[in-house]
Amino acid sequence: MSEDTNKHGHKWTMVVDLDKCTGCQACVVACHAENNVPIASEEEVVKGRAMHWMRIERYWEGEFPDVKAKFIPVFCQQCGDAPCEPVCPVYASYHSEEENVNVQVYNRCIGTRYCGNNCPYRVRMFNYRAPEFDAPLEQQLNPDVTVRGPGVMEKCTFCIQRVRRGAETANAENRLIKDGEVVPACVQACPTNALVFGDKYDEESRVAKLVPNERQFKLLESLGTEPAVYYLKGGETHVGE
Amino acid sequence: MTQFTRRDVLKIGAAGTATAILAGCSQDAERWVELEPYVRAPEDQLPGNPTYYATTCRMCPAACGILVKLTNGRAIKIEGNPEHPVSRGKTCARGQAGLQLLYNPDRVTTAVMQEERGKRKFKALAWNEAINTLIKKIEAADGQVAVWTGSTTSGHLYDLFSLFTDAIGSSDLIRYDLYSAINGYAALTTISEQLTGQAVLPSYDLGHADAIFSFGADFLGTWHNANAYGVEFGNFRDQAYGKRGYLVQFEPKMSITGAKADKWVPVKPGAEALVAQAIARIIAEEKLGSPERIERAETLTPEVDLEAAAAACELQVEDLVTFARAFAEAEHPVALPGEALIGRTNSLDALLAVQALNVIAGTVGEAGSMMITPSLSGSEMQPAAASTFEQVQTLVERMNAGEIKVLLVHGANPLYDLPESLGFAEALANVETVVSFNPMLDETAAYADYILPNRVYLEGWGYEVVNPGFQGLPVVSGQQPVVGPFHDVRATGDVLLTIAQRLDATASTLPWTDEVAFIKEKITNLPAGMYGGDDPDFQWARYQQFGGWWPETAPADPITADLAQVIEVPAAEFDGAEDEFPYFLHLYLPVLLSDGSGANTPWLQGSPDPLTTISWQSWVEANPKTADELGVKNGDIVKIESPNGKIEAPVYVFPAIRPDTIAIPLGQGHTDYGRYAKERGTNPVNLLGTTRDGKSNTIWAWSNVRVKLVKTDDTQDLAVYESKADAAKDAHVPF
Repeated sequence: MSEDTNKHGHKWTMVVDLDKCTGCQACVVACHAENNVPIASEEEVVKGRAMHWMRIERYWEGEFPDVKAKFIPVFCQQCGDAPCEPVCPVYASYHSEEENVNVQVYNRCIGTRYCGNNCPYRVRMFNYRAPEFDAPLEQQLNPDVTVRGPGVMEKCTFCIQRVRRGAETANAENRLIKDGEVVPACVQACPTNALVFGDKYDEESRVAKLVPNERQFKLLESLGTEPAVYYLKGGETHVGE
Repeated sequence: MTQFTRRDVLKIGAAGTATAILAGCSQDAERWVELEPYVRAPEDQLPGNPTYYATTCRMCPAACGILVKLTNGRAIKIEGNPEHPVSRGKTCARGQAGLQLLYNPDRVTTAVMQEERGKRKFKALAWNEAINTLIKKIEAADGQVAVWTGSTTSGHLYDLFSLFTDAIGSSDLIRYDLYSAINGYAALTTISEQLTGQAVLPSYDLGHADAIFSFGADFLGTWHNANAYGVEFGNFRDQAYGKRGYLVQFEPKMSITGAKADKWVPVKPGAEALVAQAIARIIAEEKLGSPERIERAETLTPEVDLEAAAAACELQVEDLVTFARAFAEAEHPVALPGEALIGRTNSLDALLAVQALNVIAGTVGEAGSMMITPSLSGSEMQPAAASTFEQVQTLVERMNAGEIKVLLVHGANPLYDLPESLGFAEALANVETVVSFNPMLDETAAYADYILPNRVYLEGWGYEVVNPGFQGLPVVSGQQPVVGPFHDVRATGDVLLTIAQRLDATASTLPWTDEVAFIKEKITNLPAGMYGGDDPDFQWARYQQFGGWWPETAPADPITADLAQVIEVPAAEFDGAEDEFPYFLHLYLPVLLSDGSGANTPWLQGSPDPLTTISWQSWVEANPKTADELGVKNGDIVKIESPNGKIEAPVYVFPAIRPDTIAIPLGQGHTDYGRYAKERGTNPVNLLGTTRDGKSNTIWAWSNVRVKLVKTDDTQDLAVYESKADAAKDAHVPF
């Protein structure tokens, strides 16, 4: 692991097993609930202004009757060399040293949208308008997460509020954070366990063991963004063919 | 009675992240979570630190165990309960959205009445007045009272209604809704009873199977329990030594289960059972697999002309031989009878032909096979029985004949769920008093005289004998209030018990002071469960703490299936002549909105359907070839006509559907049900007729309709998440 020579803190990492992802959207709704992500209305979706920190892309392969659909969950790739960071004029998009993830400071953001423009994964979402929660739906909002105002960029944070709470608990108990102790909302919901989350610096963690896998690849790997999200290619069982 | 203090309960110890109940001195405090101001914070409440309560999800009938996260009295997140044998710590999208039912802006906030049905001009009613009125109406009805419950009506309430109707001499207790109809609760229960003597739904241990033959069962989407089957599927793909199993899906339109299949087979609608029979016949004739399997296959299958069968299914004989070999030679093959067969006119025979494959495999009751969850030995608690369509039609006829004076509706929405051709709306007009207990103003509630809103499941008590059960464990899943009631709403169980105590006929059969007393009596009479103990207060505390009762281990003797007759499957018949109505109609429960009960939540409306990526809307899926024939493209509105009715919806060109079939998702087209659901999309149920199956004449043959499409000049912008660029020119698969 030459990329990790300068180890500091944690390297929070996600492994997505595409063989198990069923596209069921449990992660998507769990993310909305955990991170106070507003739902875009029908009109906004038609305009291409949908709001999701995580989405499940669907690709078709082949033609009827030998047609296949493939699902690929996409969310912020938490790049080690993130294109969104250097373009932000106000340092709203920066790299956290402790968690090794890209963090967005909402009250610094002035809405230039340079970061979204520079992100090759299209995972940064812009608040074109103030989020609306018809009363009393706002009672559900998670007090651990800010509700972002209009003109602000937002994106997946690997549920950093959960990561930090876990780290604080471990620290208070004078121990290291255990593998599996902290998981983002999407991972916790995922019925098939297609999503696995952990600290890649912890050599005993499940992600550290899953990453060296012949099925493993990264999205748009050639761009050199060093994503912290690893995908495991889906397989196929052939019988009598 | 020994009263537990909160501290005592905490001493018992927390299970996982589940914290204990808030039990206090008064009965009220034992039953309800009380909100306290910060200045008098309860001792286990630290501002900013969440607490978790174990309860049961009621967003569909599956009864998954959930933990609800609360901060300072507000429910803010739902997670799966890791201890629960059904959900195993996981939730589906619908389960997550339960919070938006609790906090729904369009809930009915108190008891109301309206002078004229359907006017939606409601007048608030004091609860006592409402209950008194209802008592008078029921007394005057002299036993002519019908109760219509749905598959998400809590088990305890169904049991109470059942005692109530028995006592007043009414036989009209229905448990029927769109979800249980599409998923074949009545039909599959009948088959289970025939095979094993147990009147429960079958479940399938997919996690240990090596070959799954799914005949149209969208078990990853909406079939019976998508969450539990999701967990099983994850295990199926991740078995020891890198084994990942073989999944074949037979269905006319690709579901998300079809998308995950190793082989997706768009078999001709109506011919699915023929595939099952051909597979069995080939096992017998070609002597595939073990001698026992061959022998059973010989016993159970009639002569099948393979060439003709292959032609009827539009498959090659070689394909069928490949499937037969894969099935016969697998250690744990399993066949799932799904939606595609349930609604056919040959429903029961077709389902039996598929279940016969499990019998041929000879592994029923073993790991990796079909399982029948044993009933709770030594307990009267049984899963509530699903009604048949015949019972529904009988009730509708009785309503029409004026034989029903009072209709009580709970957890079902028959005006939306059932086609206009059934005539429920007309029948409703002949009922003197209609009472809805639903917490939202749905279509049926809009035509009720009184709405006595129940608590939603996160505010209410209950239990559910889980059906289908998983891991061979009988489970009584527990439901308790995680928050205090959000509005001036009352538990229907309490309303019913209040009424019962005032009626001569029911006072002695329903003696409980409130529903909690009833539930507690039932739960503390269960045999020793995984939490042990014989003190009733201890058992009651643990039941709430764990979110239910289940035994430590599965009963040692699994239930096996027995079948020794040749299964003849008549051809499925379709409504509508082929030359006039050229397309098969395939209705399905979409992953997010399901039977439409989730349509009132922004999270489920606004999240994209996995395969089409459409949100907020209805659509018609058509093969590119079909779309070309009709000269339509994405967003063009077409008129869909069946012999029973017509609707309009925009076309979505879908590559994974047979050219002779069109598919429409259910769940939209509400005329009421809150701002997020109302007047959005179309309800395709109205294309259906009321035909019943040919064999038992009790099951609704909802999947027997052919339709025609007529292009209109209108278009609609589709709210799709996928790129609107031309996929043919710009196809790019990144992995």
